[in-house]
Amino acid sequence: MIVVRAPLRISFMGGGTDIAKFYSKYGGKVISTTIDKYVNVVINRTPLIPRISVKYSVSEVADKPEDISHTRVRAGLMCTGIRSGIEIASFSTLPSKTGLGSSSSFTAALLMGLYAFTGKKISKKELAEESCTLEIETLGEPIGKQDQYAAVYGGFNTIEFRPNGKTIVKPVLIDYKTRTEFEDRLILLYTGITRDASSVLTVQKANMEKKVEQMKFLAASVDVFKKELEKGNFKKLGEMLHEAWLAKKSLAYNMSNKTIDRLYDTGRRAGAWGGKILGAGGGGCILFLSPKSKKSVIKEALTKQIKRMKLKNAKIIPFSMVQSGTEILFNGEDRSNHYV
Amino acid sequence: MKNYINNFSKHVTQAILTIPHKEIAKALSLLEAVYERDGRIYVFGNGGSLAMATHWVGDFNKTIFNNLLETKTKRFQAIRLPSTEVELTAWANDIGYDMVFAGPLQNYLTDSDLIIAISSSGNSPNIVKAVQYANRRKVPVIGLSGFDGGKLNKLADIKILVKTKKGAYTTVECVHNMILHLMTQYFNDYFSELYEKRKGSISR
Repeated sequence: MIVVRAPLRISFMGGGTDIAKFYSKYGGKVISTTIDKYVNVVINRTPLIPRISVKYSVSEVADKPEDISHTRVRAGLMCTGIRSGIEIASFSTLPSKTGLGSSSSFTAALLMGLYAFTGKKISKKELAEESCTLEIETLGEPIGKQDQYAAVYGGFNTIEFRPNGKTIVKPVLIDYKTRTEFEDRLILLYTGITRDASSVLTVQKANMEKKVEQMKFLAASVDVFKKELEKGNFKKLGEMLHEAWLAKKSLAYNMSNKTIDRLYDTGRRAGAWGGKILGAGGGGCILFLSPKSKKSVIKEALTKQIKRMKLKNAKIIPFSMVQSGTEILFNGEDRSNHYV
Repeated sequence: MKNYINNFSKHVTQAILTIPHKEIAKALSLLEAVYERDGRIYVFGNGGSLAMATHWVGDFNKTIFNNLLETKTKRFQAIRLPSTEVELTAWANDIGYDMVFAGPLQNYLTDSDLIIAISSSGNSPNIVKAVQYANRRKVPVIGLSGFDGGKLNKLADIKILVKTKKGAYTTVECVHNMILHLMTQYFNDYFSELYEKRKGSISR
């Protein structure tokens, strides 16, 4: 049996500039961190059961990969050449479609596990690139490359997407003091509204030509964000998030909606410097950045507002930033093919 | 005498001024990640480096949590290789001295682990062999080397090179020890502060 774990991520700046249509012309850049919420993929060898069994929110069994309806699993099996005799299950801390990049975390964990199943060791670079290829090229999803890279590498990074297709990951090396001080000023609110990233991204992609200048501004803000973070200038970061939110909102008409606007305003009125929708928008999570002293007041205001708006799945999610990327936690496969 | 002492101190101070901050920061991130996934850290070296590895294991496993021994049961799991004299002498005598680290490492190493290799020259064959094995297994390697870094600095994922003239073992070892203590102190400060801040509810 093999157990692989991939973290979810919070992206702060530059989202959308990781889409090929944009970065292949102008170059893109994002800044994000992984958090202590994970997707786990468990893979089991079943030599005496010549089938493929997949367990997620539903359970499916098929004789060959082509017949699996879970798109990522089907594509993963086909690209690693595994035909049968395998059981795959996934377990997550949070529900899907929260805007925390869970689909790409799943893809990365799945691919790493399938390669381990075939006895192949794969580098971070290869894993990130293959995850992108699977989702964007094989499955044709209108998504970018930031989530796969964030999940694979782990920790706090800037990720640069060059026009020639090269992707450069650079760690943001802040010590625990800055990191925990930053955490003490963040609030993660799950709206309970789920959406498909694709629907928002499709609109955003169609509008891209018109919004090039704003997107360039978002990508360029990444380095400023990094510098201010290293200085511990959290107020400035909050203000930058607010500005970026206003700019990003104009990129796709369905990125925000009345519910999200009301929640965001509630947070701002209670004292948050700024915040953002996580992921492509339209639902998922809202991240607030606020003075430490205002944190409990904001949490209270948000909790009241959630009740008033009858958002029964909405809740504040406590979290910590982690250094973990996509990693094998357990590999009980035969190691006899690894000689010194 | 005063001159001799000053001169020695000067060599060490100069070497300290050139330590690679970025690589050390990356090493701290890797150590934190291995803690998060509950993996193990295998550390080894020859002679003085083995003594440092042993000292470090004690500090890393216990000293970091000195203030939290009763409240925090999740700890680092650092292991010095080989962990017994029996393995050391058996591998050296039966197979060859170049296998004293790689041999035991092969017994233990899993995909969630991390390696710290310490070698002033960076060229000790037994160190190189163990690191190459970890490389093939895609297990991350932190390499502490001296002089020009040798093969270890080329093979390691995290390259902590204390640049000195060839043969300056004492200088390199002084600085290696400092860096190892820095790692311990960092996590000691981190967990102690987190404990104070979060009033005991450390989820990490």
